[in-house]
Amino acid sequence: MSIHASGIVKTFGQYTALAGVDFHAPSGKLVALLGPSGSGKTTLLRILAGLEFADPGSGRVLFNNEDVTSVPAGKRGVGFVFQHYALFRHMTVFDNVAFGLRVRSRRERPSDAKITERVRELLRLVQLDGLEKRFPTQLSGGQRQRVALARALAVEPKVLLLDEPFGALDAKVRKDLRRWLRKFHDEIHITTVFVTHDQEEALEIADEVVIMNQAKVEQVGTPQDVYDRPATPFVHRFLGNVNILRDTSAWGRTGPIHDNGRLGSDGLIYVRPHDIEVVPHGSDSQGIPAVLRYIHAAGPQAQLTFEVIATGEHVEAHITRSGLAELNLKPNDLALLKLRPSHSFQDYTI
Amino acid sequence: MPLLRKERSALPGLNLSLGFTLFYLGLIVLVPLSAAFLKTSGMTWNDFISAVTSQRVLASYRITFLASFAAASVNCVFGLLTAWVLVRYTFPGRRLVDALVDLPFALPTAVAGIALTAIYAKNGWVGQFVDPDGAHRLLPHGIKIAFSEIGIFVALTFIGLPFVVRTVQPVLEELEPELEEASASLGANRWQTITRVILPQLFPALLTGFALSFARALGEYGSVVFISGNMPMKTEITPLLIITQLEQYQYAHATAIAVVMLIASFTLLLLINLLQKWSRRYHRV
Repeated sequence: MSIHASGIVKTFGQYTALAGVDFHAPSGKLVALLGPSGSGKTTLLRILAGLEFADPGSGRVLFNNEDVTSVPAGKRGVGFVFQHYALFRHMTVFDNVAFGLRVRSRRERPSDAKITERVRELLRLVQLDGLEKRFPTQLSGGQRQRVALARALAVEPKVLLLDEPFGALDAKVRKDLRRWLRKFHDEIHITTVFVTHDQEEALEIADEVVIMNQAKVEQVGTPQDVYDRPATPFVHRFLGNVNILRDTSAWGRTGPIHDNGRLGSDGLIYVRPHDIEVVPHGSDSQGIPAVLRYIHAAGPQAQLTFEVIATGEHVEAHITRSGLAELNLKPNDLALLKLRPSHSFQDYTI
Repeated sequence: MPLLRKERSALPGLNLSLGFTLFYLGLIVLVPLSAAFLKTSGMTWNDFISAVTSQRVLASYRITFLASFAAASVNCVFGLLTAWVLVRYTFPGRRLVDALVDLPFALPTAVAGIALTAIYAKNGWVGQFVDPDGAHRLLPHGIKIAFSEIGIFVALTFIGLPFVVRTVQPVLEELEPELEEASASLGANRWQTITRVILPQLFPALLTGFALSFARALGEYGSVVFISGNMPMKTEITPLLIITQLEQYQYAHATAIAVVMLIASFTLLLLINLLQKWSRRYHRV
């Protein structure tokens, strides 16, 4: 089931949470809504779920071309997983998962045996079999998250919506669980939208990333698209480390400044640290003279911080460790910096 | 062997604080209560039995416990409603209503009793419309409120209301709105959300409020004596009977009845506590 939302405006009093947002999630895909806090991403998710409604007359939400703009959450066929899980504490894991089936009207409710079968199947799917009789307080964060997921899936939703699904977990569990979610999604193929402020998370598991900022959508694309060809200065800044360079003409002599939208609409050059080339000073090639200030080499690659002599700007460059050994640079040494052409994606079009 | 196995804990001072607590409880609660038992122990078993099971005393137990139970139950319903309104809605004068809830705590109970009697007596504001002898009777036969069992129930309801409101209110405030949204998104209607999600979470607090309101009503004296009419066998509550015995210098009789009340109340409160513990079983980690 595909999701289409268009022209969504949402205001809370004086505050504009969404200023005319369009959103599309193709059927069966895993879509990330990525943005800093306050960008409106959770509000958009809640509007898709029917927990919140767009300002009257502002926009429409379509599920498979069916208008659901004013349909409440319970009738939309969505599964919603809350950031803090919102599990029913007084119910066991089993009863939590069975809730959505048991509240159905007598005519639509499956038999008790069917419910039991379905709940067990779901708990197996989220790898929680054997924990049916536990209460939510007796589970770890990751387990609670999966109970919430199973509970949302029990009603056989056409769309799965997750609000910061890994937000409340520690770093290790986060990583495991997000890979698990990706695998899980590949198995069940249900259109899924998840909200996150963690760009690494979004880029790693999503089929498509929707980047939001200040109540607007900044860019939509595959993770590779948005990382390699950021559409706006905000996306440049938001997705990973970036050097912001003022002196366009000087840098322009060292390498291509139009590669992958490096030259932002604000007239500045945005370059990722691994796209800065470091060559020895005194070699005949052109380059921007800079002094090496810090070396941070405790990692897979060496991270060098330079100070450009002409402007005093700090520029970060990431090079391989063997590359650093070849250059034989020490702090306070001089070197030349150049823009590396990004060959691999030059012909890439959005 | 030491009485308490000592475990290392980040919170020091178990012995000191436990010792102080027991001493304090002993001084304030147990010593006066044990005096009642001591005084009673001077009686022979047969005297004791006849003192606490005479027809008049039995009738007083009946009205006291029944009226207290009914009042506490009604308070549960309307206290919950009051707490709900105070927590969930904002309306002009909410703070004022919130403060009003505590008034039965602060008002001398005798004043409450006199006020209620004045209102419900046959010439009172409400009494003139409902009392059988009221000047503007609305119902064919009328309902006698002042100087009847209903009067006792009204007074006990009045003094017990704040307990339920004040125990339920904080729990209701803490209840995450996401729970209701989760329930709604799973297809539950409003009624199912209230009965299956909200009420079960409020139940322990509601039970505490019930226990407090019930216990308060059992011991209430000041407001009831004015409105009940104090007819032996009919509207005479146990605390009043104890006073009556004291006034007749029947100290042992008075303490004997008090002991029965104490044991009965303690047993009931214990049962309610156990029920509450069971209803919170999911809190165990």
